[in-house]
Amino acid sequence: MLGAFVRAFRTPDLRNKLLFTLFILTIFRLGAVIPAPGINSAAIREQLEAVQAQDTTGVFTLLNVFSGGALFQLAVFALGIMPYITASIIINLLTVVIPRLEALKKEGQAGQGKITQYTRYLTLALAVLQASSIVAMARTGQLFQGQIPVSSYMPNQDPLTLVTIVVVMTAGTGVIMWFGELITERGVGNGMSLLIFTTVVAGFPSGMTTIFQEQETWVFALICVAGLVLITGVVFIEQAQRRIPVQYAKRMVGKRMYGGTSTYIPLKVNQAGIIPVIFATSLLYLPQLAVGLIGPESANPVVEFLNTYFVTATHPVYMATFFLLIIGFAFFYVSITFNPAEVADNMKKYGGFIPGIRPGRPTAEYLDHVLTRLTTPGSLYLAVIALLPMVALGASGAMQNFPFGGTSILIMVGVGLDTVKQIESHLQQRNYEGFLR
Amino acid sequence: MILGLSIVVMLCSVLLVLMVLLHKGKGGGLSDLFGGGVTSSLGGSSVVERNLDRLTIAIGLVWIVAVVALGLLLNQGGV
Repeated sequence: MLGAFVRAFRTPDLRNKLLFTLFILTIFRLGAVIPAPGINSAAIREQLEAVQAQDTTGVFTLLNVFSGGALFQLAVFALGIMPYITASIIINLLTVVIPRLEALKKEGQAGQGKITQYTRYLTLALAVLQASSIVAMARTGQLFQGQIPVSSYMPNQDPLTLVTIVVVMTAGTGVIMWFGELITERGVGNGMSLLIFTTVVAGFPSGMTTIFQEQETWVFALICVAGLVLITGVVFIEQAQRRIPVQYAKRMVGKRMYGGTSTYIPLKVNQAGIIPVIFATSLLYLPQLAVGLIGPESANPVVEFLNTYFVTATHPVYMATFFLLIIGFAFFYVSITFNPAEVADNMKKYGGFIPGIRPGRPTAEYLDHVLTRLTTPGSLYLAVIALLPMVALGASGAMQNFPFGGTSILIMVGVGLDTVKQIESHLQQRNYEGFLR
Repeated sequence: MILGLSIVVMLCSVLLVLMVLLHKGKGGGLSDLFGGGVTSSLGGSSVVERNLDRLTIAIGLVWIVAVVALGLLLNQGGV
C-alpha cells in the first residue's frame, strides 16, 4: 500500500497531476476562508460558536456542509459548487423534455460541448440568484435564524456594498467552475466531484472535535464505530454488482477468427451513484431559495406553508419528500444512463447473447427486468443512508452535529473510490501493482 | 476610496466571469460526475487557450487582491 504511494509520486506525469490537483484544492479552500467585502467573518465565527449548542438543523446546515463551511462565513466562495450542480440537474432534466437539447445530446462530442456551455451560463444565472438570496437572508438575520445580531457581521448595508457582495460571490462561483474544469483536464479524477469531496471532508475534523468536547467519551467512541461500520457498508454496496454473462459467437472474417469470448455486463446495485441524493437535496433547497427571495416575514400563505413544511430538515413531511425524491431520481437517472434496448441492440450487432435468452427484444426485456430488480434495493439503500442523520437528529438531540451525515458519507466514499481507481489506472500504465489488491 | 475599489472589484468580477465563460467547457455534465470513468482529453491546449489561461489567472489575482483590500477597508472604516 505505502509502496504504491511512493510509486505514484515517482511517476513523473502522475506526480505532476497529483500536485496540480492538490494545488487547486488548496486555493479553493483558501477562497472559502476569505470573507466577501463588507463582511466581518471573525464576528460570525465567534457568535456561531456561542449558539452552536442550540438548534442548527435547518436546511442551511446541509448547504453549509456542501460549501465546506464557506456559506456561514459568507466567504468569497460561499456558494461553492451548488449552482453548478443545480444547473447540471436542470439541464439534465430538460434534455428529456426539450427536443432540441435531446438532438444536441445525440450529436456526440460537439453537441455535448454545447450543452456544457448552456450549463455554464445557467450556473452563473443561478449564482446571481442564490447570492442575492443569501445576501438578503443575511441582511435580515434569517441566515442564522436571527441568533446573531446583523450589525456585528455586516456593519454597513448601503446598496453599493450589497451589490458588491453579490457580484463577488457570483464571480467566485465562476472561478470554482473553472477550477473544476482545470482539475478534470490536467489533474486526477473528476474536478467537480473532487471539489465536493474537499468541501465535505473539510467540515469533518471540526465536527469531530465538537463531539469530542461536548459529549462523553463513550458517545464519541460509539459515533466513531458507527461511522466506520457505515463506511464499510457503503463501500460494500457501492462495489456490489451483478454480472450478467454474455457469450460472443465465433466468426471468421477473412482468415482471422473473432469473438468466441465470454464476458459479462456489470450492473451495479447502485447504478445511479450519489446523484439522486444530490438531485433531491438541491431540489429541496429551491423552496428555501424562494422564501429567501420573497421575504420570510411576509404573511403570504405560500411562504407560511413552505416555512412549516420545508425549511426545517427534521419535519416528517420534509423527510418523506426527500425519501420519495431520492427513490424517484434513482430510477430516473438509471433509465437515462443505461438503455437496455440500446445495449441489447449493440450486443446483437456484434454477435453476442446472454445464454438462455434470445437476442433482440427478449434480451432488452431481461436486462430491464434485472435492472429494475437491482435498482429497487439500491434506491432504498440510498434513501435510507441519506435520511439516517435526520432521523437520528429527530429521535434524539444527542446526535447533533453528526459528522457522518448520510449524504457526506455517500459523497466521501463514492468520490474517494472513483479517484483511487483513476490513479490506479494511471499507475497501471507503468507497473502492474496498484493500491487495490 | 471605497467607491473606487468597489468599482474595480465589480469590473474584475465581470471580466473574470467572461474569461471563464470563454474557456471551452470540459468534462462538464453530470454524466461525468461521480463515476464517469477515465475521459482523457487528447491533444494539448491550443495557444489561444493557454493565453486565455494566463489572462484569467492575472485577472483572478487582481480580483482577489482587490476583494481582500476592500474587505479590510470596509471593516476598518465601517465600524
